[in-house]
Amino acid sequence: MKIKNFFYSQKVAPYVFVVPFILSFAFFWVYPLITAFTMSFQDIGAISSDWIGFANYAKLLKDNVFHIAVWNSVKYMFFTLVLLIPFPMLFAVLLDSNLVKAKGVWKAVLYMPALTSVVISGTLFRLMFTEYTTGQMNMITAALGLGTYKWLKMGWSGMLALLILACWRWTGVNMLYFLSGLKSIDTSLYEAADIDGASGKQKFFYVTLPLLKPTTVYVLTISVYAGLAMFLESFMLWAGNSSPNNIGLTIVGYLYKRGIEKNDMGYACAVGVVLLVVALIINFAQLIINGTFKKEED
Amino acid sequence: MKKKLISALLCTSMAASLFVGCGGAASNGGVDPDAAADETAEESAEDEVVTNTYGDPNGTHLEMWTFVELHAQHYGVMAETWNEEHPDQTIEITCTTYPYSDMHTKLLTALEAGTGAPDICDVEVGQFPNVVEGLDQWLVPLNDYAADYLDTMVTSRMETYQGEDGNYYGAPYHVGATVMYYNVGAMSEAMGLTQDEVIAKIDAVETWDDYQALGEEYLSSVNEEGKYFTCVDTGGVDWLWLAMAEYGDDWTGGFTDPANVQLDSVKNMLTMQQDWLKSGFAEVSPDGHIDLEAGFQNIMDHNVVSFPKAMWYMSRFTNYMEEEAGNWYIAKCPVFEAGQKCSVGIGGTGTVVTQQSQNADLAATFLCWAKMSEEGEQHIWDTLGFDVCNAALWSDDSFAHDDENQYNSFFINYPYDVLNDIGMDNIGKISVVSISPTINEYLCTTTLNEVLEDPSYSIDDALQEAQDAIDMEQ
Amino acid sequence: MSNQKTMAHTPKRMIGSVLATGFFLILSLIIIFPVFAGLLASFRPGKELIRRGLSIDLNLSTMNLDNYLYLFGGNADSQKYFMWYKNSLLICIISVAVTLFVCYFVAYGLTMYEFKFKNLLFTIVLATMMVPFEILMLPLYKEIIALKLIDTYVGVMIIGICNASTIFFFKQYLSGLPKDLLDAARIDGCSEYGIAVKIILPLAKPAFASMGILSAMGNWNAILWPLLVLKGAEKFTLPIGLNTLLTPYGNNYDVLIAGSMFGILPIFVIFLIFQKYIIDGMTAGAVKG
Repeated sequence: MKIKNFFYSQKVAPYVFVVPFILSFAFFWVYPLITAFTMSFQDIGAISSDWIGFANYAKLLKDNVFHIAVWNSVKYMFFTLVLLIPFPMLFAVLLDSNLVKAKGVWKAVLYMPALTSVVISGTLFRLMFTEYTTGQMNMITAALGLGTYKWLKMGWSGMLALLILACWRWTGVNMLYFLSGLKSIDTSLYEAADIDGASGKQKFFYVTLPLLKPTTVYVLTISVYAGLAMFLESFMLWAGNSSPNNIGLTIVGYLYKRGIEKNDMGYACAVGVVLLVVALIINFAQLIINGTFKKEED
Repeated sequence: MKKKLISALLCTSMAASLFVGCGGAASNGGVDPDAAADETAEESAEDEVVTNTYGDPNGTHLEMWTFVELHAQHYGVMAETWNEEHPDQTIEITCTTYPYSDMHTKLLTALEAGTGAPDICDVEVGQFPNVVEGLDQWLVPLNDYAADYLDTMVTSRMETYQGEDGNYYGAPYHVGATVMYYNVGAMSEAMGLTQDEVIAKIDAVETWDDYQALGEEYLSSVNEEGKYFTCVDTGGVDWLWLAMAEYGDDWTGGFTDPANVQLDSVKNMLTMQQDWLKSGFAEVSPDGHIDLEAGFQNIMDHNVVSFPKAMWYMSRFTNYMEEEAGNWYIAKCPVFEAGQKCSVGIGGTGTVVTQQSQNADLAATFLCWAKMSEEGEQHIWDTLGFDVCNAALWSDDSFAHDDENQYNSFFINYPYDVLNDIGMDNIGKISVVSISPTINEYLCTTTLNEVLEDPSYSIDDALQEAQDAIDMEQ
Repeated sequence: MSNQKTMAHTPKRMIGSVLATGFFLILSLIIIFPVFAGLLASFRPGKELIRRGLSIDLNLSTMNLDNYLYLFGGNADSQKYFMWYKNSLLICIISVAVTLFVCYFVAYGLTMYEFKFKNLLFTIVLATMMVPFEILMLPLYKEIIALKLIDTYVGVMIIGICNASTIFFFKQYLSGLPKDLLDAARIDGCSEYGIAVKIILPLAKPAFASMGILSAMGNWNAILWPLLVLKGAEKFTLPIGLNTLLTPYGNNYDVLIAGSMFGILPIFVIFLIFQKYIIDGMTAGAVKG
């Protein structure tokens, strides 16, 4: 009888479901994170480490290169949000309508870039954006009579290259998220809207958009994170972590530079903690505005 | 091979069926990862052909990490030779090639954790300060093991891998002596001279003024848009290292003094480069430096016909620029004032023995033998094309003038003749200490871009900015 | 009346259809370009790439199968390549399967019930997404050694099994399903776990499909952590192996590009299988019922 109670208890069930997460969280996040957090107050040396209080954080405030990295990451995140949410959503709605033929082909093609590793796609883009005449971007501008550009040496074009790489890789993935969200929308709602004589535009704004909200919130949240944490793309595009005037340096790139290249783990952990705090603030603000924490009302 | 493809596809469809059939497998949480992992461990043991283990299976086992496949093969060959010569202390060595930056991360993580490091490990010179920070707590000092060879080893290169305590911790592959590469083929064609006449002119170059005069002569005869005599780097500090070596400066200050980039040698070089850029004598290297795809293309298109680079750049010619065979001549670098040193050791990889090794003594003996003895150096020159550190070999005719060697046949002259001409005491050294990555990085990201992309930018201002940034770190 | 309306719409629909399809055609051509250029490069010797850059010149005389013949040639490099391939497939398959189920149940617990700490737990899930892996690396490495999981595939997979973004996605997906299904099932005498497995899980198949492919992708391309845990070339995964071909001393483009192009294949095949599944997904119908 007791066993039966266990299987049927609505009080116990949720805890059973979340146990794996709690275990994994305790082992693989809490412990290392606390370690990292304490390291951010230390000067980590090879043989001994010293407590230096808030010195690492104080240094961050004065560190111009870190400020550039933060600004680059925030800019990149902002533009990826602008480019990688509305457009994939529209593409998904279009693809979900019966206007488009050969849907499978387009989905497969748009998704393909995400399957390539950043290592290879970054290298391909680096060759396309080279300032030498063999780069495709320079071939295009030269054919238009605009001459050649040093794409990866100027701030605006460096950011452009990063954004093109991001759009190339992620448009298909985000479109797929939205497609999967569209699948769960009850078609009878559209039928009802049709009966009410709603136009296509009205159906989009009053039916599709609100019902896609969980998916949109998801894509928004992971995009904020992915944007702020971008690193490998920049690393491959500039064939290393050093870009001219740091136009491609990101927060995680700076963390990598400090922690891995210069082996200054204490300072790197302070950078990591700042990233964590910034990302949490942005995302929780966004999630609270979107009402994700509210109890679901039926 | 078809079988492999089919099995790959089978695995793929297996994966798919796993997901499609998810409803059924849900209750027991899918496959037991432990069982499956054990299974592969067994399977991979069967594929013994592909592990990079060399030498005597009954000998002492050594573990070695590197980030260049060719280096791993070097130790493999050397281990076989070692076993023949030392039947009483044979070794078996497993060499693993890891991706470059990750290998260093893995090594540092293992050293910090106190477990998991290999016996022997390659360390790229840029990463060396991080590893040598652990001194003899992490690494085995090689002084005693290298003692037999030290007399003829290029001192400046041995010092590159010194720790703060003065011990030698790394065994070098090469000197990395900087020399000037000239495209004699293109120059003689443009100037209407025979190759010998051009070579005579190059040999007469002693100072940067001579170099500039020769270049102007070449450029006036080419008279074509997009052609330059040389290219200057925004993404590398080789030119500045050369200038410092010539004046005997060192911006790192070594282990004792604070770093200082506001040196006359640096200013002179940058001033000269700005003048070159303004007059169309030089261009900025496409994509920042010459050791990249765009740089190779630029060379092969004969847009630049001379540049200074370390001797190891020879392998770039043989690997990527085959069509240039027979065009290029190697010479000493020009100097600012007669009598200065005319070369500097650049780049490199030091190989270390870690304290975590159970057989540190044997590992260190083997390592020094494999990298400093005549047998070892011969193999390094033949397969890796490095200018070896054991100067005793430089004047050995069978070594330096072997026409079978691909580098000897690729270039117009014998590379070691140039080295002998320079002399081992004339190769300068710039220290690699913990501040080095900061200096290099600031110069390559900011300073050089400022002053070379905009040749009217004030060098003093740019160096002051660099100094301020570096001072923050020391 | 209504018939007439449809008639009037037909030519307009035709134009719309052509425009929409044309739009996707152009978009696809742009998107495919770098992959296509990479594919072309894989049929050329690496020297050609260095000589001419990423050329899309279709000149057949410069193209050959040498890189692939080498890759499939049974030589030492080729054996290594397929060993990495096999390792990657194995790690990928197992960890995706385990991750999906674990994350589904966690998300199910977080969505379908009201309980103490629910919001706190969810907050924590989100927070774990934000932690840059680089700062956890050293402590995690020490921990994996202490757990004796170093140099095992379990050590590689275990830290990613409870993946926050996967949990979050399932939660978002499940919150779109009507809860009256649960009550109906309870009345029918289903246990709480039976509902999760038999009633809701089938409805979440599209989510499994999307997350499956994404998780597979992440696993397939993961490099830093597997590299820290694994020792020895015989245990390497494909990305680690391919990365050894990029060194500061020069890049081996011959094998790198051909190997990377062939490396896309398994995930792409999985995707094609999944895709059909997504399209055929009966979610909409089931939810309606």
